[in-house]
Amino acid sequence: MKSEAEALIELISSARGARKPSLANRETEEVLNIALATLIELAVANDRIDRLERLVAQLRGEDVSALRDITYEGDVAEERQQATDGLLMRAMRIMLDPREEAVTEKAAD
Amino acid sequence: MKVRDVQHAVLPQTTVEERSRQGAVVALRRLLNAKVRPRNVEIYDSEAAPAFAERHGRRPQSEEEIREAFLMAPSYRLWSAANRSAQEMIWVSVGQPIYRDLDRMEAVTEELMHSPARRGSLTLDPSYDPSPEVADVDIHLQPGGYGMDRGENDVVAGALYELGGNVFSFGQGIGRGDSKAGVILRLLEEAFTGFKPARMLDIGCSAGAASAAYAAHWPDVEVHALDLGAGMLRYAHARAESLGVAVHFHQMDASSLTFEDDSFDLVVSHNLMHEIGEEKRQAMIRESFRVVRPGGVVIHQDVAIRNPPTLVHQVERDWDTHWNGEVHWATYATADLKADMIAAGFPADTVIEHDLAALSGMMNNRWYAISGRKPGQDNNG
Ligand SMILES: C[S@@+](CC[C@H](N)C(=O)[O-])C[C@H]1O[C@@H](n2cnc3c(N)ncnc32)[C@H](O)[C@@H]1O
Repeated sequence: MKSEAEALIELISSARGARKPSLANRETEEVLNIALATLIELAVANDRIDRLERLVAQLRGEDVSALRDITYEGDVAEERQQATDGLLMRAMRIMLDPREEAVTEKAAD
Repeated sequence: MKVRDVQHAVLPQTTVEERSRQGAVVALRRLLNAKVRPRNVEIYDSEAAPAFAERHGRRPQSEEEIREAFLMAPSYRLWSAANRSAQEMIWVSVGQPIYRDLDRMEAVTEELMHSPARRGSLTLDPSYDPSPEVADVDIHLQPGGYGMDRGENDVVAGALYELGGNVFSFGQGIGRGDSKAGVILRLLEEAFTGFKPARMLDIGCSAGAASAAYAAHWPDVEVHALDLGAGMLRYAHARAESLGVAVHFHQMDASSLTFEDDSFDLVVSHNLMHEIGEEKRQAMIRESFRVVRPGGVVIHQDVAIRNPPTLVHQVERDWDTHWNGEVHWATYATADLKADMIAAGFPADTVIEHDLAALSGMMNNRWYAISGRKPGQDNNG
């Protein structure tokens, strides 16, 4: 049996034809593709967390909604807030980057 | 037998994560189709046509100008880019388990193809070069296309088609339980009461989902099916054997059949016409007339994208031609199929276009079909 990555390489390299972008530039379109693929992977991870939560609830003999019904307070609330702020900062980094756009030489024409 | 989601031995064994991923792509497609795409025609009025008018000093007139206008609207472009990406992710989500599990699938295929207990058959034609107008294109972006053949026991094209079809159709809103064969069986009951074939043909069968459904519905009918791709047909054959139904698969071009004149009672095609060009289609329809017996029935079924209300709707529908490898989408959508049927020999009064409800659609899905009957004494069946 092949690994996931090997299987994907085989699939990806079998595609034919020209890829016409819809957005005004190709880089933007490629970044959109990466973002959407990441979105799908997030859904996959959420399903996995859900499975674990259900398993834990079952092992504890309680309803999964009871397991999930945790209200954050005090230090724990602060810790979660900081984690969320960190996550957003990582995701939004580019919008805060102070560097100006450099004028790049286009490929020699 | 339900056509989709049928469990059989040639399917790849998928992990729970792979199924999660397929489910997520389905959800993304459904959102894009049901919530985002319907805004395209409004976007045309609010963004596209005004942007065109600003540049050219007049409103768009022709199809080309309407297409140009659409592409001036950022919201349309974003939908288009996301839709293309979602389509590509369908193939990633089903292609990963297929290529991962391929050794086992090929071994199972070999076993089923040579099993002494097999009920149907497979006839490949090594001298046939699959029609390039289809085989050279990755239609709806299926990597490698319909004609891909990677050697002896290869089944990748068939597996991609079946699994991609499950994900794709669900995202479109065609219910999982839906069966195009079921719709045609219902049409036969309603419009051709009492007609039952002894021998039938399914043209352009792909993974043989409909062919197997006919064989399951009518165990005593001799079911033949054909397609151009060897990888597609090996999969279809092994799939049917694994399901325990008898179908005879042939590698053959739809426009030039090797069957005798008057040799079938019923000839059908499902979703084939939109995949082929005009000449192929006309030849295919002529062949369906030739091989059906006098009094026999021919039904060509396909997607209900014909007769859009306006040119703007037509251009919007035509997205698939330009971004989804559906090179013959527009040719089909605007073809005069009644004229093709009559030119093939069907008497005009037997040629009927049908607007058919899916068996269990989610978004009021509909199918198009056109039927004809070859003149002759025996109209009973
Ligand atoms: C969209 S698929 C439809 C499959 C199937 N009937 C179904 O409804 O699921 C169209 C099929 O027609 C086949 N096809 C296209 N052109 C053909 C030709 N000239 N001769 C035989 N098969 C052809 C393709 O290989 C493909 O498998």
